[in-house]
Amino acid sequence: MASSPPDLLPGTLDLLILRTLQNDALHGWAISERIQHVSEDVLQVNQGSLYPALHRLEHKSWIEAEWKVSELGRRAKYYRLTTTGRKQLTIETHEWDRMQHAVSRVMKLA
Amino acid sequence: MNLRDLTLRARALFTPGSVERDLHDELSFHIECETMKLIDQGLSPEDARARARVKFGSTAAAADECRDERGTAFIDNTIGDLQYALRTFRRAPLATLTIVVTVAIGLGLVAVLFTVLNVLLFRTDSVPDITEIYAVEQPQQANGGPSQFTRQRFEALRSDTNVFTEAYAAVNELDLRVDGRMMAVNLVSASFFRVVRVNPIMGRALSAADDDRAGGNPVLVLSAKGWQRQFNRDPKVIGRTVLVTGAPYEIVGVMPEGFRGLEVSAPDFWAPLTRVADFVPDVRGSEDKVGVEIIGRLKPGLPMKSARAQLAAWDSNQSATVDRTMSIALVPRRGTVPQPLEAIAVFTPLFLAFGLILLIGCANVANLLLARGVARQREIGIRLSIGASRRRIVRQLLTESGLLALAAAGGGYLVSRLALEGAVYWAMRTMPVDLGDVSFSVPAADWRVALFLVLAAIAATALFALLPALHATRIEPARTLRGALFKDARPGRARNILIGVQVFASALLLICSAIFLRSAIASSQFNPGFRTADTLSIDAIKDGKRDAMLQALGNEPTVIAVAGARPPLLARPPRAFGDAGAGKIALSYKHVSPRYFDVLGIPIVRGRAFTIAERDGHPVAVVSESVARTLWPSGDGVGKTLRIEPDLTARRGFAFLTINPKAGAGDAPLTPRTVTVIGVAKDVAGFRITDVREAGVFLPTTVDAPQTFLVARIRGNADLARQTLLERLTRIDPNMGKIITLRTVARLETFMLTIAFWVSVILGGLALLLTVSGLFSVLSYLVEQRTKEIGVRLALGASSQKVTQLMLAQTIWPVLFGLLAGAGLAASLATFMLATEAGAMISEIVHVTDPVAYLSSLLVIVVACLFAAWIPASRAAQVDPMNTLRQE
Repeated sequence: MASSPPDLLPGTLDLLILRTLQNDALHGWAISERIQHVSEDVLQVNQGSLYPALHRLEHKSWIEAEWKVSELGRRAKYYRLTTTGRKQLTIETHEWDRMQHAVSRVMKLA
Repeated sequence: MNLRDLTLRARALFTPGSVERDLHDELSFHIECETMKLIDQGLSPEDARARARVKFGSTAAAADECRDERGTAFIDNTIGDLQYALRTFRRAPLATLTIVVTVAIGLGLVAVLFTVLNVLLFRTDSVPDITEIYAVEQPQQANGGPSQFTRQRFEALRSDTNVFTEAYAAVNELDLRVDGRMMAVNLVSASFFRVVRVNPIMGRALSAADDDRAGGNPVLVLSAKGWQRQFNRDPKVIGRTVLVTGAPYEIVGVMPEGFRGLEVSAPDFWAPLTRVADFVPDVRGSEDKVGVEIIGRLKPGLPMKSARAQLAAWDSNQSATVDRTMSIALVPRRGTVPQPLEAIAVFTPLFLAFGLILLIGCANVANLLLARGVARQREIGIRLSIGASRRRIVRQLLTESGLLALAAAGGGYLVSRLALEGAVYWAMRTMPVDLGDVSFSVPAADWRVALFLVLAAIAATALFALLPALHATRIEPARTLRGALFKDARPGRARNILIGVQVFASALLLICSAIFLRSAIASSQFNPGFRTADTLSIDAIKDGKRDAMLQALGNEPTVIAVAGARPPLLARPPRAFGDAGAGKIALSYKHVSPRYFDVLGIPIVRGRAFTIAERDGHPVAVVSESVARTLWPSGDGVGKTLRIEPDLTARRGFAFLTINPKAGAGDAPLTPRTVTVIGVAKDVAGFRITDVREAGVFLPTTVDAPQTFLVARIRGNADLARQTLLERLTRIDPNMGKIITLRTVARLETFMLTIAFWVSVILGGLALLLTVSGLFSVLSYLVEQRTKEIGVRLALGASSQKVTQLMLAQTIWPVLFGLLAGAGLAASLATFMLATEAGAMISEIVHVTDPVAYLSSLLVIVVACLFAAWIPASRAAQVDPMNTLRQE
């Protein structure tokens, strides 16, 4: 995909998914759209890896899923943050800030 | 794994469709949304759908990754692998069956040994908290001397010390006739059952009243073994009475299966210690002097040190008058085999022999699979090229060999049970009856045997089935797809080694069986030097009843003559030194009555036998020919004098089997004396398998002298005569010893050799069968592989004989190597064995270096191998050259 950004750092996709699900329960497509929209099309989630990531997070019990009827009138799987997922989001956000801060310091000062 | 995963896995397992449908729905919903979005942007529905698909990439790959993330793939894959494996087996049923049956036979044989060893090694006591139980011993006792404790001292220990929560006194392993059958009894104080803390399954245990020292009750408690042996598990046995040396005893309880007290093997019953005089009539009146064992359950939490100190203090108070130097010891007491290492040492050679069969079988399997590997290479190549990972294929192959292993383990279990049942049945059928009530029971298999079978099966199949398969995955898909397989046309070193090993193992086993067979034949023709067909040995006639017994024997019409011997014929005569003036020589001696030589048919070659007038103490002797030769090389010895002194330092020599272990133990040592030689008797070989050797010097005695055992010559059927005599004599002394026909003893040796022969011939036969079939299949495979080459050779003018020779030549070297190695190892083992004392003894009976045995067994193998090789080799000669050339 030519327009897609350079590879996300490992683990970043998980963080993005968790952050996206912070307020609403969303299905897979909505998550990828939301990320793309909010990042002003800079971040496009590789859809082939979105679903494995969702299943992995569900396996870790950070998110949970529920089948609901979507706006299109079809059965869709909605993901929602769990309590542990929320905790994990705080931790990962903090980690991300540290990393970002460190990287930007290096970029400015090194 | 959390609960949600678990339900998901369960769903994946039981309704694999629903999980798959969910996954499919989720992914296709995504594409649907994407399509809608693109349509909104103005694309035609078809274009939109196509764009959405392209953007998503492979849904199958994504779904696969999702499954991997969830862990549900594991179950799907396993089910797939199992189905695939079963399909593979169905496609090659013969190969599968061969593998399973071959490994099962090998495993089954090894499992037979393991089952027996398992019973010996891992048997546990049914007594709870066995670690608390200690025997109180004094040093002499530990050295095999008589117990220094009496009932009185036991009672004193119980009341004066505070070491044991409970203790009991026992007199163990008394053998006596109960209702005409030899039974083993342990006499115990009533506290025994409280110490072991095991309750009877029927009736009650011995009570304090039963063991009351004022008299007690004539009651007994059966072990499960005694209940089975004597009463065939009669559920109404409680309350029945049996006669114990004439006194009626009531059965009050039955102990559970597996309970042995604290002995290695359970007695038939337990009876109150206070009634000891009923069982050992000699001690009547002095019951309190009978030596007893003291065993107790140590107070929990009491340190060993203080327990010992307390006992030592008590002991020095008690035995102040006896012996102050004796210290008391506490020895842990259990009812299991004390030295498992010894059992392992005995079983190791057997394990090796049985393991050889497994090895040969596995070598066959490996050969078969190496050959089949080519076929699998193509299949595996295809799977690799359509994207299967190597890990995935290895997992599949593992599943396959795991399934094979389980089937082989199951088969091995069946083989081992059949073999054990068969062997026990056969042994019981052929065992000579008069040696006593020997009973074998088929050892049970437990979870350890099952575990052993499964582990061994997995090891066997992994080694011999998985390795060739793994080898097969190391291929280039592109080449295999083109059909260019690894053309392994040469016999290959691996295959040659396998054939060599097989021939080696069969040679080793067959040489053993040939040696045993030849020795058994020689042994059945061996002449011990005295009459065995019509003679009986009659044991331990109580001195008080000797006259009545002799009377009864005299009145018996089947008895021709009776003679006496001390120690008995079936025991090792004591050692002594003889001196005829030219220095001391070691010899053995025995007291015999005048008719001894006559009854046993031992010829007196010079001089005469004893007369009736020559009784104990008369200064006369008969010597054997070899003793006469040693002492008087010049003359015949009759009329010469000889000084005899006992050899008190002599220790017991090695013996396979001791028939009368206690015989002669109570005899007074020989008083040194000078005797005149009146006769020379022919040398007697004796029974080689027991410790029975004939003496070199015979001194006179009479049949009515104390401690003298009897031999009788009878007329007619020896077994019938034995039965009648047993009935007559037990009426006089219900507790008399054994009556054994000498023919039984003579046959015993042949019997044991025959057992050894059958075991080794079955193993050797199996080994040869497996070798031959392995050789056959390998050669057939090679001929098939080389058809093209053979065709070319034939077309170029090679004769069919030449071609046959060419094929045969391929097997000659491995077979020859195997033969030489097998024979060489057998011969060096034999040499090694001859160098040891026990080995030299055995080699008198087992002719370990018999050249005929070696040559004949090697010949059998050569013929069998030639036969196995001949069929495929001659098939090679019949190859039609035109046909093979056309195929190219």
